[in-house]
Amino acid sequence: MDLIDEAAAAEHRQQEDCEAAAVDAALALLRRRLLCGSAATLLLPNSQTNRRKLLEALTNTIIQGCSTSMLLIGPRGCGKSLVLDQVLEALQKSYPERVSVVRLNGLLHANDRCAMKEIAKQMCMEHALTFSKGASFEENLHFLTCVVRECARSHRTMIFVLDEFDLFAQRSKQSLLYNLLDLMQSSSSQAALIGVSSRLDADQLLEKRVRSRFSHCKLLFLPPSTDDIFSLYDRLFLLPVNQCSHWQKFSEDFKEKASVVLQQGSVKQLVDEFMSMEVSGQRCVDLLFRALCELNPQSGHISPAQFKVASANLTPQPKLEILTDVSVLELCLLVAMYRLEAREVESYNFNTVFKEYKRLEEHNTCDVYSKQCALRAFEHLLERELIVFKDSSGLGNMLEVRPIKLLVSRHEIDKGLEGNISCPTILRQWRTHETIK
Amino acid sequence: MRGSQKRKRQYFGRVRLDGVEFKVGDDVYLKRIDAGKEESDEEVEDCVVCRRAGGGTMIECDICLGGFHLKCLDPPLKAVPAGDWACLYCEEGEGRNKRKRPTRRSIKRHRTARERLLASELWAARIDRLWKEPDSSYWFEGPWYIIPEETAMGRQPHNGRREVFRTNHIDTNEMESILRHCYVMEPGAFQKASNEGDDVFFCEYEYDAQWHTFRRIANIDQNDLALSNDGNSEGDWSGDNTEEHEVKSSTYRKHKKQKKVIKEVPIRRKKYSIAAKHANSHSRIGGLEGLWAKSIPSDVRRSQTEFEKAKHALLLSSIPGSLPCRETERKEIRSFLDDAVAAGTQCLGRCLYISGVPGTGKTATVLEVLRGLHKRVEDGELQPYRFIEINGLRLISPEHTYTMIHEALTGEHIGWKKALQKLDKRFSQIVSSSSVDGRPCILLVDELDLLVTRNQSVLYNIFDWPTRAHSRLIVIGIANTIDLPERLLPRIASRMGLQRISFSPYTHHQLQEIIHSRLCGIQAFDKLSVEFASRKVAAVSGDARRALELCRRAVELAEQRLSDLSSTTIKGCRHAKGLGASGKLIGMADVEAAILEMFQAPHMQIMKQSSKQAKIFLLAILHEQNRTGMAETSFEKVAIAHSLLCSTNNEQCPNWDTLLAIGCRLGACRLLLSEQGSQHRLQKLQLNFPSEDVSFALKDNKEVPWLAKYLC
Ligand SMILES: Nc1ncnc2c1ncn2[C@@H]1O[C@H](COP(=O)(O)OP(=O)(O)OP(=O)(O)O)[C@@H](O)[C@H]1O
Ligand SMILES: Nc1ncnc2c1ncn2[C@@H]1O[C@H](COP(=O)(O)OP(=O)(O)OP(=O)(O)O)[C@@H](O)[C@H]1O
Ligand SMILES: [Mg+2]
Ligand SMILES: [Mg+2]
Ligand SMILES: [Zn+2]
Ligand SMILES: [Zn+2]
Repeated sequence: MDLIDEAAAAEHRQQEDCEAAAVDAALALLRRRLLCGSAATLLLPNSQTNRRKLLEALTNTIIQGCSTSMLLIGPRGCGKSLVLDQVLEALQKSYPERVSVVRLNGLLHANDRCAMKEIAKQMCMEHALTFSKGASFEENLHFLTCVVRECARSHRTMIFVLDEFDLFAQRSKQSLLYNLLDLMQSSSSQAALIGVSSRLDADQLLEKRVRSRFSHCKLLFLPPSTDDIFSLYDRLFLLPVNQCSHWQKFSEDFKEKASVVLQQGSVKQLVDEFMSMEVSGQRCVDLLFRALCELNPQSGHISPAQFKVASANLTPQPKLEILTDVSVLELCLLVAMYRLEAREVESYNFNTVFKEYKRLEEHNTCDVYSKQCALRAFEHLLERELIVFKDSSGLGNMLEVRPIKLLVSRHEIDKGLEGNISCPTILRQWRTHETIK
Repeated sequence: MRGSQKRKRQYFGRVRLDGVEFKVGDDVYLKRIDAGKEESDEEVEDCVVCRRAGGGTMIECDICLGGFHLKCLDPPLKAVPAGDWACLYCEEGEGRNKRKRPTRRSIKRHRTARERLLASELWAARIDRLWKEPDSSYWFEGPWYIIPEETAMGRQPHNGRREVFRTNHIDTNEMESILRHCYVMEPGAFQKASNEGDDVFFCEYEYDAQWHTFRRIANIDQNDLALSNDGNSEGDWSGDNTEEHEVKSSTYRKHKKQKKVIKEVPIRRKKYSIAAKHANSHSRIGGLEGLWAKSIPSDVRRSQTEFEKAKHALLLSSIPGSLPCRETERKEIRSFLDDAVAAGTQCLGRCLYISGVPGTGKTATVLEVLRGLHKRVEDGELQPYRFIEINGLRLISPEHTYTMIHEALTGEHIGWKKALQKLDKRFSQIVSSSSVDGRPCILLVDELDLLVTRNQSVLYNIFDWPTRAHSRLIVIGIANTIDLPERLLPRIASRMGLQRISFSPYTHHQLQEIIHSRLCGIQAFDKLSVEFASRKVAAVSGDARRALELCRRAVELAEQRLSDLSSTTIKGCRHAKGLGASGKLIGMADVEAAILEMFQAPHMQIMKQSSKQAKIFLLAILHEQNRTGMAETSFEKVAIAHSLLCSTNNEQCPNWDTLLAIGCRLGACRLLLSEQGSQHRLQKLQLNFPSEDVSFALKDNKEVPWLAKYLC
């Protein structure tokens, strides 16, 4: 009798282990999908067409030697880097030894001289040559031309990727862009230049002869529609099958539960609302990732509550949080400043504000703070950027006399007063009271 | 010791041996010493069918290289067909009724030199240098040719039957070992070659016997013109290349000594070391052999479709030998240069300023003229000159011009201040016109406007040197603005603006001609569509680059359209048949699509696709703008308007922090012009596009239909 029981228990435990393992495996898989540049099938439809176009264009360059230039534009987080990385990886896989990629970033390579140096450095790395730090711009340019020519003669394609392309275009001479694009139209090169930018007018920034050399081929990355997002979620939850029966059962279960959850009105509305603020591939991936982080490993299935937490997590309200956290004295000072603004006082400084604050004291029973104390609170506000100095003039002057500006609006102060638990009621009245008057 | 020996060596441009002339650049068969008994070098090839040589035109099978009389074929052919041709034996090679190839007669057939080369019984090499040793034996030096079987990869399916590779291994051989001439051509010439006989081969690649790698042989046009500077010949320019030497065969025979021709099996040289040199810091860059391809990819040898040919022809890089539509300008530049070079010591103050908007063929035309000039020098018709090319955008600062010019003239790299001094001195002193330094020097300064400095000294110097009596400097400046000389100091303008050529933007007729001339012989474009494209470009800029790119894009779009179409037809529907031949060409629709892609700004699409709150935010700005009549507003005002819009239309209003984020995001993709987000309430905002565009994009929105009522 006992024996049978034990066997059943062991089996049960084993099953539990199996299930836990399945949950872990599923979570790991989903996280990987979400974080590490998911597979081509897990792209949003717009990105998929862009991926195809980019792949076609670059394959064309590799096989037929037609040099091109191209610009990938779209708002931040819409999959530009993701698609580009996928395409480059695919090319390197299908044409090994026939593509070399040079990557530059406008934020990292702040001027043309160091960008050119970086190109030479990456080329040296790729082909195991010795790089010289001391080479001048002209020498590096010459080196670049030679390597590109040599590559073309050996059926190798150079692909230049310029991330944050607009920053390269904002340099005074644009000599890097001119030279790279000029290289594209020389007969002895087989290369492609791919600019990535989040500025829609990136190609308008080019100087006229640089623009003339640019092919004007643009790939536009658009933010997804809600339907696209849900279909992406569906595809993401589709776990791959394998022989293990536990896994089989679990994955089917998982998908079913997930699709039920996604069908629910409340989840639909929540996602809709979340996306109505800002919409991008990045955001829909983020939302899901946060939701998965909240997943309860015991149940192993996704639920609407997790989406709620995730959405709240991803909607930060920094100003409001600061306002609900500040001390009473700081609140008083803010309200005092607000009152000054409401009376259309053009310019004010700490002394004026403190005077206004004193008037609050006259009215009431509130704690009274010294000027020293108030100054400390004032500094605190400055640190938190709730107020700033009006201009940089009078830097040497005393803190008290430099003119300041209030960076929070009435609406936000109201919200802050409401939310701040330590806020005395008199302060709320005071804010409205004399403004009306 | 070696020096003295060298002095006795006599180099020749061409040598006549036994009545056959060999010159530098020729390709020859070499006898292989170890090849055993010599076969007579019977040249005639016999017909595979009748086994007889001569008697009627013969045709060669492209697969087995067998020769056939036209009349011996079944059915007989009247003329040599165009393109590849395969004989009956090869054509039906795999078929059931495989024809039996006539077996070789038992009598010993003479094999041709070509067959022996392809069987590795002969060798081939190129003559790079010819000389006579002090013992009056004749020698030459040059790279070997090898057949595909001799490479590390062995013969690949896509190697041609008559393909050979030039190795980068150079050897010295006695002229004695030469069998006779053979002809190794580049693929283009090989295609056209018809009656050079049996000893024709083509060579597209260079082979590195040590690394077992390949690379394409650069064709001559690609080598830049500047290479001619080095002046491989000192002294008088007339006639050093054409030195001829006649050798009486009898005297030569006397010295006949069997020297071994040893084709060295490439021994591994000591491991290639580039550590000694930094790859990127010397003007002569070495160590790039590692980049060569391990094998020749098979896909480069595919035959091209019409569309692919069109794409190639339209590439910016495939510059035609002679640019159409620039005849007058070309003539002017040519006569300017001819005059200047021919003027000799009288060459004084020769400056030419060329202006024109981008992509009108300025640089291309000048380079073309220079190529012509270069050729004439090589043919000995013109005095040699030196050529220096400088591009304002390739210099890190304008003063570097001096360094570059000095380096080009002397090969010495020094700082610009010192270079300026030296150049100044050099251009003022008398140099004998027979030395290299005394040759006229053509200085091409591209993107001249970049060299304008605060005190304009660089430009002043460049245009002042030609006016010095002994400089013999000829300057051609290229820039975009027509009135650049007028914008400069008068003393520069007076020197630079004397002779000018301005390249006007292309009209649509010209663009059409340019495109048609490039597409000559390629059936890809509908005639009207080319006209449409050129009209569009001519109306915008008259930029040839734009027109070519536009057409190329149209080809790509058409290619895609057709491939989509064929994939749908495979699925079952047959409506593609209806398109007929016209659908196979690039039509108006494709050009229109390309124009749309190229000229349409993307902001409308982004606005249409942006999130709901972002749209309301844009509307709020528009609203504020209309209310105040001023383009610029602040975040606070917009946020208030936004909340108002939301509350009157039963939308949930996001908090201000979110609104700020929305504004910054719109600012990041430049739908708005905005200040930094840290300005918060005081952040200044402004629409970056006309308000009509914004209201057009926001209208007819299914997601937030109420937007329409605020937009009229
Ligand atoms: N179309 C998409 N499909 C799937 N995931 C996407 C998509 N777009 C964005 N993502 C997700 O968002 C992340 C960020 O996208 P990515 O790095 O490509 O943005 P980006 O367009 O390059 O932005 P930035 O302009 O800031 O560089 C990706 O790693 C991916 O997880
Ligand atoms: N008449 C023409 N026929 C054929 N192709 C042309 C012609 N004119 C220009 N092109 C094409 O346009 C390209 C640009 O020409 P080119 O480099 O001479 O322009 P550019 O006038 O020097 O412009 P930039 O001022 O920008 O240097 C050439 O590479 C060539 O392919
Ligand atoms: Mg990116
Ligand atoms: Mg030019
Ligand atoms: Zn015959
Ligand atoms: Zn045959």
